[in-house]
Amino acid sequence: MKSVVFIFSAAILLASPGAAAQSDAFAEELEAGTADTSASATNDPWEGFNRKMFAVNNVLDEAIVVPAAKVYRATTHKKQRKGIRNLLANARAPFTFVNDILQGEFKRAGDTASRFVVNTTIGFGGMGDPAARMGIEPHTEDFGQTLAVWGLDSGPYLYLPFFGPSTLRDGFGMATETVADPVFWLRTDAASYTRYARTGATALSVREPLLEPLADIKENSLDYYASVRSFYLQSRRREIANGQTVFDDLPDIGGFDDFDELDELLEEDLAEDDLADVLSEDDQ
Amino acid sequence: MFSLKNFRSICVGAFAAAALSSPTVALADEPAESYIGAILVEAEPVLNAETEDAVLDGIADLVDKHVDMRRVALFTLGQYARQMTAEQRDEYLPLFKQYATIVYQNALSNYSGQRLEVTGSIDRSERDIIVNSKLADPNPGDPFADAVIQWRVYRSKDGDMAVVDAGADNVWLAIEQRSQFTSVIANNGGGATGIDALIAQMRKQVGG
Repeated sequence: MKSVVFIFSAAILLASPGAAAQSDAFAEELEAGTADTSASATNDPWEGFNRKMFAVNNVLDEAIVVPAAKVYRATTHKKQRKGIRNLLANARAPFTFVNDILQGEFKRAGDTASRFVVNTTIGFGGMGDPAARMGIEPHTEDFGQTLAVWGLDSGPYLYLPFFGPSTLRDGFGMATETVADPVFWLRTDAASYTRYARTGATALSVREPLLEPLADIKENSLDYYASVRSFYLQSRRREIANGQTVFDDLPDIGGFDDFDELDELLEEDLAEDDLADVLSEDDQ
Repeated sequence: MFSLKNFRSICVGAFAAAALSSPTVALADEPAESYIGAILVEAEPVLNAETEDAVLDGIADLVDKHVDMRRVALFTLGQYARQMTAEQRDEYLPLFKQYATIVYQNALSNYSGQRLEVTGSIDRSERDIIVNSKLADPNPGDPFADAVIQWRVYRSKDGDMAVVDAGADNVWLAIEQRSQFTSVIANNGGGATGIDALIAQMRKQVGG
């Protein structure tokens, strides 16, 4: 669960016919009971490409990012890391503000603007978060979320080298924000330095708290790629809903009514097996 | 015979019924909240047990008692549940129980030394309820301080309740497991062959 919470908070980084002798009616019942018609059904037509990129990223992660994140952890204090997280979040505030406006969330845009002013001034340029203590809670928005609010479907899952899990829509959102960033267009040494420093600091700051949770997931998962995909897509839906409990598009766990019939059928099936066992014993 | 007063109460009743039956209105389900509340009370001494082993054993007992493993096990196979032979099912069901118990142990032991309390519920239907909870007195800076820890409750036709999934901040374990399992099956030839591959991998994973 720790992993789940962290993945959520840091989703930006990552992300034949049966042999059973079953009657057609039984097969249909099972299908009704287990078919996934929910919006959470996985849309991953580019799985082959995505898995290759996932493998590439994992090599880079193990070779460079994880060792660097461990050094970062060893050489800084928890409070310093918190300060850096705040600083990076504060630097993102203008993007969140624009996206709040584009989504028509004026109250949240006001929160973002107030937080930016308060934290940049009395929060020492954003290292501290006095705004939260005043009761103005942080939130983030990005252009991918805005496109979702405008009604654009996520499109296929897309695992990007360096950037991690995404979708076609959210990848497009990321690209749009990259070119909308003034620092991207400035070709001075200072701008380049800012760009590299910010990218590096963001990578370390996001990866460091994920060291244990991701290692846990990797160890316990039968398919690490599928686990990361599911965690990313699930947490992303909640971000788009601005943290509200999302429940309409959850799959039924066993289609409930259908599932009761399925269960009865399975029980009957089980009873037949038992009968078969008994019969075979009689034969012996 | 048909007084104005009667008419008015009928109108009020009709409005209330319309409001209640509107599909966009999700209601709290108090019996489900009490059901989870009682489990969380039962979990308190478990999470505060002296040794780590005692915590893990206690969680396994709670899972055994309250989680409808058979239902979850079949759910996590997705469309492949219908392609399973009786032999495969007999192998898969106990393996899934072992696997899912370990997942619950990993997840819930994060709350060692803490107490969870119910904060509300949402009914997707009369049979399918999400109960929300959170840490009662989180330590300052606790990474889970603001997390919403969620329980999916299934109510049978007879009114019996059972837990079918757990999640944090809308990220659900059984949904993630289904994503893994269907992926393993599909990438190993699908159907009965794929299910055999899944069973073999699960056996390796739980060390059985």
